[in-house]
Amino acid sequence: MARKQASVSYEVIKGLWDENPVLRSLLGLCPTLAVTNSAINGLAMGLATTFVLITSSIIISSVRNIIPNQVRISSFIVVIAAFVTVADRFLAAFYPLISKDLGPYVPLIVVNCIILGRQEAFSAKNSVFRSLLDSSGMSLGFILVLLALGMVREILGSGTLFGITVLGDWFDPWMMMILPPGAFLGLGIFIALANWLNARRAKA
Amino acid sequence: MKLILLFISAAVINNFVLSYFLGICPFVGVSKKISSALSMGMAVTFVMTITAVVTWLIYHLILVPANLEILEYVSFILVISALVQLVEMFVKKVSKPLYETLGIYLPLITTNCAILGLALFSVLRDYEFMESLIFGIGAGAGFTLAIVIMAGIREELELAKVPKPFEGAGITMIVAASLALAFMGFAGLISV
Amino acid sequence: MSTTTKMILVLTTLTMISGGLLSYWDGFTRPKIEAYRLQELKKAIKEVLPPNDSYDEIKGKDMTLYVGKKSGEPKPVGIAFEAVGNGFQGKVAIMVGVTPDFSHINAIKILEQIETPGLGTKIVDDPTNKQDRSWFSNQFKNLSVEPQIEVVKNMKPSKPNEIQAITGATISSRSVAKILTDQVNVAKSIYQSKGQ
Repeated sequence: MARKQASVSYEVIKGLWDENPVLRSLLGLCPTLAVTNSAINGLAMGLATTFVLITSSIIISSVRNIIPNQVRISSFIVVIAAFVTVADRFLAAFYPLISKDLGPYVPLIVVNCIILGRQEAFSAKNSVFRSLLDSSGMSLGFILVLLALGMVREILGSGTLFGITVLGDWFDPWMMMILPPGAFLGLGIFIALANWLNARRAKA
Repeated sequence: MKLILLFISAAVINNFVLSYFLGICPFVGVSKKISSALSMGMAVTFVMTITAVVTWLIYHLILVPANLEILEYVSFILVISALVQLVEMFVKKVSKPLYETLGIYLPLITTNCAILGLALFSVLRDYEFMESLIFGIGAGAGFTLAIVIMAGIREELELAKVPKPFEGAGITMIVAASLALAFMGFAGLISV
Repeated sequence: MSTTTKMILVLTTLTMISGGLLSYWDGFTRPKIEAYRLQELKKAIKEVLPPNDSYDEIKGKDMTLYVGKKSGEPKPVGIAFEAVGNGFQGKVAIMVGVTPDFSHINAIKILEQIETPGLGTKIVDDPTNKQDRSWFSNQFKNLSVEPQIEVVKNMKPSKPNEIQAITGATISSRSVAKILTDQVNVAKSIYQSKGQ
């Protein structure tokens, strides 16, 4: 029986919550933990990943019928790696300070499971238009998580938000939040929160 | 001496999983039983060591002389995926049960950020050949250490009552937080 | 056409197109990245040397010396180089300017460090010191390096080669001192063998 095609709006919205790549599918955990020590870093990484996800989705869904099955993964990888190189060089040339902060995590977008995952599961089997919707939704979902975690960790760990001090001298920053333990703790709580909220929705 | 320090630094002081957040997917996915965690760790160490060598050779003997450094990421990831396929065939032939245990996680080593991360760090820090090799072995050892410890803890957690929202990835992250905190104690091990 | 031929054709075409586009992108971005790197280097050298108009480069085995010159004066005004070593948590890189006889440090600028935030990072910026947040690096101005840089705790330095450690970040402080002492000697031997 043919699967009924989801509505256009759902293709985008599903990436925000129901199928949020980080909180529900547990993909892309490495960058989520690594670059959320400040809100701007989280945002920059989100945007870089979005660029790669959307461009590679467009290319891959365009040529999906030409690529033989056996070289599927290798072809996806070449396309993704090429766009990551573009993004990485772009940041290094035009935003060198952010490039330095994000460091090796930008090239690591190549192995971000979200990207390869979406190409495998969606772009390789759907039209360019739908792939564009899907990758936009997923990207947005990813950016939201990065931004949220980045903001929480920055406020608690440095007392600042986007570099501007928001908590006065009375607050002694919880340094741990911008260090690895804080990253794991923050993400763990986010995932648990998402699970809890989802369980409540299902009951309702 | 410098190499020994490099090994200790990669394995423990700046542990790939607990300091650099590399290799989190298998860390969360394969850490339920100590035996599978150990197998995964060894497979990853094996791939890391070969990757360290091969990518170093490709970068310094081909890309740099030909002024093609821009192809770093593309060539590295293609090499890694080829290596992983070879390892998969090798494991399948040598030990069928091991192949079954690792299951889907074996081909997933390709997208393991730790492998590509290793290759990238080596270039970034301008390591020489031997340094790159030791770095690869050390990083693999560190990954194995972290994942086995995590498996040990999770095996114990089977008997504990974990709050429902935290089951699975949630509690793993919380445990990882304490592990990361503990490993921070290794800082300063090699300095003045 | 057979599957194998198709496979090879597709992969080769894909790689060639990617390669071609990336080469173009390389040509576009590489000069900018290099220009930025040079700009930052010049800025750092300027900060650690006394006023100078230009600098010559002397390349050693693992270190490059930047010999600052003032137009009209035959002798160099100072020599700058990058000192690298292990801090508490990881690599520390410091641009340091020394007097031409390598006896005193003119000034330092810490370029890279990954020390513990809030403690070790005070070597770069100490918000708890209201008068001077860069007090730690400023201690190195006109500091004698002979016989070696000494670190004292909880008291003001009394000798010309002493600096005060950061409370709670003794190892980071000591690492900086040791890196500088060691690398000044390395730079000195390079200069004496290859320089004037």
